[in-house]
Amino acid sequence: MAPPFRKLLIANRGEIAVRIARTCRAMGIPSVAVYSAADRNALHARSCDEAVAIGPAEAAGSYLNLEALLDAARRTGADAIHPGYGFLSQNGDFADAVRDAGLVFVGPPGDVHRRMGDKKGARRLMAAAGVPVLPGYDGDDQQDATLATQAARIGWPVMIKPSRGGGGKGMRVVHTAGEFPAALEASRREAQAAFGDDVIVLERCVERPRHVEVQVLADAGGQVLQLFERECSIQRRHQKVVEETPSPALDAAQRESLCAAGVAAARAAGYVNAGTVEFLLDPEGRFHFLEMNTRLQVEHAVTEAVTGLDLVRLQIEIAAGRPLPFGQDDLGASGHAFECRLYAEDPDQDDLPSPGRILLLCAPSGPGVRFDAGVETGSEVSVHYDPLLAKLVTWGRDRTEARQRMRAALRSTAALGVVTNLARLQAILEHPAFVEGRLHTQFIDEHLSELGADDTPPDEALAAAALALSRSPTRTTGPTPTADPWATLGAWRLV
Amino acid sequence: MRFLVGDEERRIERPAGVEVEEAAPGTFVWRRGEQVETFHCVRDGDVVHLFWCGRVYRFEVLREGRRAAHRHPAGGLEAPMPGKVTALKAREGQRVQKGEEILVVEAMKMENALRAAKAGTVRRIAVKVGDMVTPGAVLAEIE
Repeated sequence: MAPPFRKLLIANRGEIAVRIARTCRAMGIPSVAVYSAADRNALHARSCDEAVAIGPAEAAGSYLNLEALLDAARRTGADAIHPGYGFLSQNGDFADAVRDAGLVFVGPPGDVHRRMGDKKGARRLMAAAGVPVLPGYDGDDQQDATLATQAARIGWPVMIKPSRGGGGKGMRVVHTAGEFPAALEASRREAQAAFGDDVIVLERCVERPRHVEVQVLADAGGQVLQLFERECSIQRRHQKVVEETPSPALDAAQRESLCAAGVAAARAAGYVNAGTVEFLLDPEGRFHFLEMNTRLQVEHAVTEAVTGLDLVRLQIEIAAGRPLPFGQDDLGASGHAFECRLYAEDPDQDDLPSPGRILLLCAPSGPGVRFDAGVETGSEVSVHYDPLLAKLVTWGRDRTEARQRMRAALRSTAALGVVTNLARLQAILEHPAFVEGRLHTQFIDEHLSELGADDTPPDEALAAAALALSRSPTRTTGPTPTADPWATLGAWRLV
Repeated sequence: MRFLVGDEERRIERPAGVEVEEAAPGTFVWRRGEQVETFHCVRDGDVVHLFWCGRVYRFEVLREGRRAAHRHPAGGLEAPMPGKVTALKAREGQRVQKGEEILVVEAMKMENALRAAKAGTVRRIAVKVGDMVTPGAVLAEIE
């Protein structure tokens, strides 16, 4: 079959841009990278057939610049744009602008992004479709007194959530009626500053929940399928750190009803393309709709590992209007997969980002090991972007084998030059509660003191370093000035 | 050879029976008898980055004549990474508790609260909202 597009522009950077480019190569679709002034020689900007400069290092002028991205597509003759995740991937106005420019957006249409980006509306839509939602309040009356009355009706503790937004910004847990007014004010202020909107949704706060989510795929012809669940309970500051599939918490009956709810949610949303329906799983085993992510997720690779599918390829085919090449009964999941996110963050300093130059990167490999990196030796980790360096995925026959492979892979992943969370990932994978699959979203905070690593090198390590330094000349980092070869060389002869 | 590990000076003698060879740039082979271990080591100025037995370590080479010195001003709040100051949470002259937020620096999409390392009085705030800061810059002083 002929490639579905003439040329595809990847409106992103880092590991996801590199990952999308790989699928384009495999499908025979020429690809276009875009890069900011800070990313001219970045790995992603060298992974495509063409690369276009779109603006300054600050994302607002480059990766978030709709006009610059559309210009780059026009100039290179691209007829489709894949937004990756983050940046403009869930921006309905961008999806509309791409369509209005006569191009294809690889993702759902603008109105789906807007519908699901509004938590208040999404909650009502889900409740109407029979998808379980938490006891809460999603009304239009936003007066302080109404919200306080509703919070008391829901029962403490209550979560205050901005209706627009994400990343945990503006969210507050309130334990007593006395704390409510001040928390409401702070939440509204933060929401207004971050999202330009201060509409609030209230929900019962579930203590020690698990985060489970359903991967869905929907084609333009109305077929909606689910690709099973992922569990992403290991989080820090609302950022996922370790994910896996299947969830160790679900039995077959729970899995079936969760995945059916995911399909019902996607249908209610009028969804097209790949998306994720997120749920909270409470300690009693009941699940509740959290939100829908109208894009590809970082952790899609664990689903790929157990299903053998290429989700980016399916996204591209769906965007081209092709029907899904299989039905629900053709799909199965085999084995177990984990993903660990390698971040340039310092766990000893409250996960402070750690920009700098990667002096050495050694990728793990082996049976069932996948390493998707956005950096390599020599890459600059910039202060301007997300600190995700790479995602490491392992697959095994069962959870034990996948975990053993992950442990071994983490021990052979060397990233030198910037501080990373590698030691914390190792500690999480070894933790007895993790080994037993007893997970919840406060896992890292609750076990923080047991997840620290001794960063004092043993004498043997220092001796190894001393011998290594005496073997190799002092290396300096940064570009080494080289003489212009056209000036120093004479004529060339091929021998 | 002398190293500075954190604030501690460590003197390392050449271990008996150990051989180290460079296998590729930054990649070394450690041998003792028939025991073998691959490790990685890169030097950046005086800073040594070492990957040994699955763990990463960072320390400094102490050159001849240099002594371990405390480089952190006792009550100074330093920028740990480059970024932009997005909020000031304390005023000059204010009493603060250990761990209290002094200011917020945004870097890599994240807001990072910088906190007082000890209780005291904020003597000086050296930056304002919107300033770009570089690592090591003293942003505030608490005594």
